[in-house]
Amino acid sequence: MLKFVLKRIIYLIPTLVLVAALVFLLIHMIPGDPAAVILGPDATAEDVASVRQALGLDRPLYEQFVVWLGNLAHGDFGVSIHSKRPVIDSIGERFPVTLCLTTLALIFALVVALPSGVLAAVYHNTNKDYLFMIGTILGVSVPGFWLGLMALLVFSVNLGWFPSTGFVAMWEEFWEGLRYMILPAITLGLFMAAVVARMVRSSMLEVLRLEYVTHARAKGLSEWKVITKHALKNAFAPTLTTIGIQYGMLLGGAVVTETVFSLPGLGKYLVVSIYMRDYPVVQGCILFIALVYVFINTIVDLLYGYFDPRVQYS
Amino acid sequence: MFWKKFLHNPIGMIGVVVITLNILMAAFAPVLATHNPLTINVAQQSEEPSAQHWFGTDEFGRDIYSRVIYGSRISLYISLFSVLVATFLGVAIGATSGYYGGWMDNLIMRVMDAIMSFPAILLAIGILAVLGPNLSNVVLALGIVYTPRFARIVRGSVLSLKEKEFVEASKAIGNGDAYIIFRHILPNCTAPLIVQATASLAYAILAESMLSFLGLGAPPPAPSWGNILSDARNFMMDNAMMTVFPGLAITLAVLGFNLVGDALRDVLDPRLK
Repeated sequence: MLKFVLKRIIYLIPTLVLVAALVFLLIHMIPGDPAAVILGPDATAEDVASVRQALGLDRPLYEQFVVWLGNLAHGDFGVSIHSKRPVIDSIGERFPVTLCLTTLALIFALVVALPSGVLAAVYHNTNKDYLFMIGTILGVSVPGFWLGLMALLVFSVNLGWFPSTGFVAMWEEFWEGLRYMILPAITLGLFMAAVVARMVRSSMLEVLRLEYVTHARAKGLSEWKVITKHALKNAFAPTLTTIGIQYGMLLGGAVVTETVFSLPGLGKYLVVSIYMRDYPVVQGCILFIALVYVFINTIVDLLYGYFDPRVQYS
Repeated sequence: MFWKKFLHNPIGMIGVVVITLNILMAAFAPVLATHNPLTINVAQQSEEPSAQHWFGTDEFGRDIYSRVIYGSRISLYISLFSVLVATFLGVAIGATSGYYGGWMDNLIMRVMDAIMSFPAILLAIGILAVLGPNLSNVVLALGIVYTPRFARIVRGSVLSLKEKEFVEASKAIGNGDAYIIFRHILPNCTAPLIVQATASLAYAILAESMLSFLGLGAPPPAPSWGNILSDARNFMMDNAMMTVFPGLAITLAVLGFNLVGDALRDVLDPRLK
């Protein structure tokens, strides 16, 4: 087991280096001189030269990359051009909001997807199943951010059930903070709920055909036990991979959701920094979110073995 | 056989109808639109839907119905071309990588994995943040982001096919690599490619609307659905209807491709039924 975990972590290193390299190359895709683009048309030649030096743009590309990678390894994500603060500090302040949002969206998605997917499989090819399929295909077709705008209009502005402006952090006042998070989390999680529900349905259908399920029924187990203890545990392994991959949709979608609901998370910070051409922050945010995504999928891989012991830890 | 099955699939047919309507809307936009989508009319700002302005007007007095109609052009253009770019790059990369193998295959696929390590929309945002927002950059950004999905499919097929006897036979009679790839290998992976392309079209429409909403898509005043929503957001309190229609348009367009995608998957890949 330990060997498997270590192997998986070592396997991660080239991926991480390549991810970092892609983010590093991004800034070099700026047409023309990045320093001049960052400063805008009114900058003097000295300003441009000093920014170029500050960003290390005057050195050869590979040297810049090695230095940048070395800094990253020390947790140095660069310094914001706008606020002059270390990027990693600003990320640290905002990431908890994004983490809360995506986690609540994940919880919502699973609470909706698992029971509905299982029920659709149990009621395969009945009206309930068809209704489920219609619901999920709508779920993957509706743009979450539009749904967010509509929800804001109906539930916050017209009905006044949820606050429409301002923000309270959940870790400061849990219940009040939750009120600010419910609409964003639901509209963000809906797409994932639909994708995961379909995955649960199709894996359950596959499992329910197998002989061991018939055997469990023949033993006289209750249908509830057959489904939850025997079928669902096996059907969950492929679902887990889907959840891991879909978590990326949550992280990416959070950028738009945070903008719609004005949540002070990493996504909104990224968007604002793009408007201000604060490239070190843009680089830092994108890299950080990608690292979180890679990390979560590694955990999913490791968990996979629990649900599907056929995966050998060797 | 395939077409017969597909034509008998009601879900797919509904999808085809929705997509056709969308294409007709884009093609006949000048006929269908009641106003010029860009004309500013200060006398008619933020109006509710009326006989003259079916979906109302925005804060510049522009006709929202006409903007939504013209918006289908941008959305179709971006989705179609970004998926074409992704398919072309993906097929080229996947076929080369799988066919020649070795260290190059390893390196290419690691890069593909690295691209897939980013949430798709996030990488597109990053590319557009750097290149600047305009239509061809959106096509390029989404094209790059979706390339690995196609490359993986093609590489997988190439790896299993290149050991087959008919490929061996073709080599033995002296056919070149390019001929073998195009004549023998690629035709055998069109089914999964078509399924992937249809799904990607749906994603691309969603992604384009998100990018425009963030101000990273078609630059204003272009009437893209995401732009209309982004404008609407600031005037939502005064004119709620402005938010409803562009969202419905996006949903329908995405729905069409998703329905066809589902139907194709059922027909082409019976395993997943």
